[in-house]
Amino acid sequence: MLNERASRRKDDSTPPPGKLSSPEMDLPNVLPGFEQINRYWDKRQCVFAAKILPGEFYVSKQGEMIVTVLGSCVSACIRDPIVGVGGMNHFMLPEQRENMVASRRESDESTRYGNWAMEFLINEILKLGGRRGNLEIKLFGGSRVIQGMKNLDVGSGNVDFVRDYIRQEGLKIQSEDLGGTFPRKVLYFPDTGSVKVRKLKSIANNKLLERETQYAKQIKGKPTQGEVELF
Amino acid sequence: MTKILAVDDSTSMRQMVTFTLKGAGYDVIEAADGQEAFDKAKGDQVDLVLSDVNMPVMDGITLIKSLRGLDSYKFTPMLMLTTESAGDKKMEGKAAGATGWIVKPFNPDQLLSTIKKVLG
Repeated sequence: MLNERASRRKDDSTPPPGKLSSPEMDLPNVLPGFEQINRYWDKRQCVFAAKILPGEFYVSKQGEMIVTVLGSCVSACIRDPIVGVGGMNHFMLPEQRENMVASRRESDESTRYGNWAMEFLINEILKLGGRRGNLEIKLFGGSRVIQGMKNLDVGSGNVDFVRDYIRQEGLKIQSEDLGGTFPRKVLYFPDTGSVKVRKLKSIANNKLLERETQYAKQIKGKPTQGEVELF
Repeated sequence: MTKILAVDDSTSMRQMVTFTLKGAGYDVIEAADGQEAFDKAKGDQVDLVLSDVNMPVMDGITLIKSLRGLDSYKFTPMLMLTTESAGDKKMEGKAAGATGWIVKPFNPDQLLSTIKKVLG
């Protein structure tokens, strides 16, 4: 019954009477695991949208738009154009503890965190039928917005990581808009692969700065782990 | 030396797992999919299998099922290490003969203590 309703909703382009002014009532079904993501009808783009915050990711199989605002954080927009599934993440690497200098890449907590952010997005796409060989990857963000200890450029650390990750995984970057000094608003359309990027040059970025600083604090030194069950 | 077969289609994941295991003194063999893992395990008896679930060519659950079909792997501990946390997938793993289910992200200490526990 549920499926029948969902497919009718997708196929029928004529909204039922009385629904014209409130398309948000008809939000497309969300994939399991993404129920907490903020979704809405975007009047400007005339499309259903999902807005992701630092530390979140979202994957869609239907014509939705994924939106985020990036300062020092980076986002990977990844899709399998053949299978028709794609998504976006939004993350930064946690700042290293002061005594962890020149530790090996595989061992440092900071890199591990980035690996998980990329792994979760790619795995979700693969789980929904995507294939590694088909993946189309676009990278955004990593501007000089927040500064770490010793005036470290947090953005450029994130950029280096995400480029390294893609190379190490044997994947290819289709396009990128990384670094610089301005925050970015990114609109991603996984069904077509198109991305709209707007550099935020004039608006007050206090909210963005606050959000990223809070996220940086939240992930610093916090060990990440999932559950373990022995049968 | 205890030998562990680490299976994951992501190079970064394999490196992270291998680094953790080698640091704890284990010998590690890597494989990028279930089929490669099956072939390596047949040629070289390992003491524990640590495998991802969603992989190309042969997935982790089929790998466990196939290995359990071999006399030499009837009692070998086999752990799944995956982003999958859904109950039905877990039950599928259990039915295939997995010893346990670890949801990513893993914490190195937690991974090592789980391995120690199942190795007995």
